[in-house]
Amino acid sequence: MPELTRRSLIKTAFAGSAALTLSGCNILPRKAGSEGPQQYTGAIGLPDGSFAVGATAPDGTMLWKSPVQTRCHSGCNRPGTAEVLFFERRPGWAFYVLNSKTGEKFHRIEAAEGEHFVGHGVFSADGRFLYAPVNRYEPGEGIIAVYDSHMQYQRVDTFELDGTGPHQITLHPDGQTLIVGLGGILTHPDYDRIKLNLDTMEPALVLMDRHSGGVLARFQPSHHQLSTRHVDVAPDGTIYAAYQYQGPAHELPPLVARYRNGRYEEISFGESVHQELGNYIASIVAHPENDLVAIASPVGGTALIFNSRTSAVIEKVAIADCAGVEALAGGDFLVSSGRGKLVRMGKNKPAAEIARMSVRWDHHLV
Amino acid sequence: MKRLTLTLCLASTLTTAPLMAASTNSSHNPGTDYRRQWHSDILTGYQSLATQSQTLAKQAEAYCQAPSPEAFEQAKQAWLEAFLAWQKVRFVDFGPVEQDNRAWQFQFWPDPKNLVARKASYLLKDDAPITPEKISESGVAVQGFPMAEYLLYDQAFNNSERALPADHTCKLLAAVTRHIADNGETLAHDWKAFQNNYIGSDQYTDTTIRAAMAGLEILEERRLATPMGLRGNGKRSVYSADAWRSEASLIAADASVQGLNQHFLPAFSKLLKDRGQASLAENIDQQFNEVLANFPELDRPMAPLLADDKAFRSLQNLYIDVTQLTALVNDRAAVELGVVRGFNSSDGD
Repeated sequence: MPELTRRSLIKTAFAGSAALTLSGCNILPRKAGSEGPQQYTGAIGLPDGSFAVGATAPDGTMLWKSPVQTRCHSGCNRPGTAEVLFFERRPGWAFYVLNSKTGEKFHRIEAAEGEHFVGHGVFSADGRFLYAPVNRYEPGEGIIAVYDSHMQYQRVDTFELDGTGPHQITLHPDGQTLIVGLGGILTHPDYDRIKLNLDTMEPALVLMDRHSGGVLARFQPSHHQLSTRHVDVAPDGTIYAAYQYQGPAHELPPLVARYRNGRYEEISFGESVHQELGNYIASIVAHPENDLVAIASPVGGTALIFNSRTSAVIEKVAIADCAGVEALAGGDFLVSSGRGKLVRMGKNKPAAEIARMSVRWDHHLV
Repeated sequence: MKRLTLTLCLASTLTTAPLMAASTNSSHNPGTDYRRQWHSDILTGYQSLATQSQTLAKQAEAYCQAPSPEAFEQAKQAWLEAFLAWQKVRFVDFGPVEQDNRAWQFQFWPDPKNLVARKASYLLKDDAPITPEKISESGVAVQGFPMAEYLLYDQAFNNSERALPADHTCKLLAAVTRHIADNGETLAHDWKAFQNNYIGSDQYTDTTIRAAMAGLEILEERRLATPMGLRGNGKRSVYSADAWRSEASLIAADASVQGLNQHFLPAFSKLLKDRGQASLAENIDQQFNEVLANFPELDRPMAPLLADDKAFRSLQNLYIDVTQLTALVNDRAAVELGVVRGFNSSDGD
């Protein structure tokens, strides 16, 4: 059995949820589980074809836009500070450090020689160390690059993943375990975004100790072409992985996996739902206040919420080019789309369009 | 019911993970009619690619066995015809062409780092034997039309001591064109075998429409707007076009539009009409004719048209016609049919 099953994971209670739900502040959407400002930040495409990072209030008011040189993908908030980081889209040659209140750029940190970022990163809970998945592209090795924000984002460590194509990373509520989606796909910047190893992919969900870089557990999906890209974790330690299937479109494999109580299991939503997901999930988010999980598929133009305990799909809505998902205070989710829409989804209520903006939201909100 | 073989490699229990296939029972589903026609129309294109690629391999071999200026011209002509056959089906970006990156194998492009030239120089540097295995393991920049084009057309290379019919270069040309021919044959074969899955799975209707949309967008943005200096740094440069070495950028564009007209439009038109969009279908049909009316006049090298403002206007006319076609298909029809090629859905990350 994987080592982690013997670890006692800290079970964080649904901290703060009672206070938030009792606040009665259900009319205006609020961000869940956050002591930071009430905003979501995302990479955006602008109508003139240029790119920026932008922040919106949960009600769809654009707070700021900060132009960037190339299209960005995702990023992370630095805990305890007013800094937000955004990574250039794969192959990402740099990340930006921005003032999350104003969009002012503090730094643009370039990838090390022979490496590129893949669009994601996460901070240690104290906001000091940044963990960024990286492709070391000549040998095609995936690594986690560690940067120290107290030292002007100097590179301080490198952890080997023993695999290819890492993508999203998040931090377990135990504060020690990094959760990494290892997509398994070999790419090289000389060859655009061509997938070079579809026959020999070895995707995995990897759990890693953030101090030593030791791999604590590695779970492989049920088919070698289920690229394990996106991950999230609930406050109780349940881990979710979302796949992008690299095989033919007429095959409809499971696209979501869950790890809890020592078991890694894949979840099927049934044939008709899978047809609407287009074998591609762009985001997966576990709500910190309840046992609901939301996913979005831009390929299928579908966002849905499922119950983590029963795996039953409880809400599903067609949103063209939807990709970004975030949790709202009170138990709902916010979904963003490449057509500028923000849509609120929740249990037992019709999906509501909150805003229609003249920007194209890229894959993720943070 | 089609199933993938499930290899369970989980250390822990795996539950509820059936792989399901899309519904195949659709006797009253008009979608199967469109897909039946698309399957057949695309097969025609793939078969032509297979045939022309075989001819290319044979001509290359014949030239290398008995080099002469005439045989060289024949080899170049065979390259062009096979390349144009590829252009006609280049929009198909799903199904068997996805396997082993076959589309990239046929045409690795764009190539901003000139990998094709670098790889050729690397392969020709030593006299290590050039085997099919060597081609297979050398990556997509070596395996297709751009590499054969480099060996046949590149001016600097043709003035070097490695120029055809140098023995080692001949061996490389023979191996590359054989690789293209084998891929052409396999692709046509695999497309045939794909028939039931394609016709039986509803999602391939949208997939096929999206493929045509992507093909038009690539034509408009990357094959025309970029070399015309309408994007990026604003400078006109034929090196941003595809097939600049053979001066076939525009005749290839012609072939791609013809390919969409022949292998995509018939079933698409029918689909639009069945969904109450007869006048839109008519407009799209007319706009295809508008684009194609630029040819064969414009089946010319692109570089001189970029160099001269007056000649540039004929390129602008083509570009405008293509833009209008793209708008009709990618915006109007796509919205009517609810088929979207989005910022995120075409990103793949």
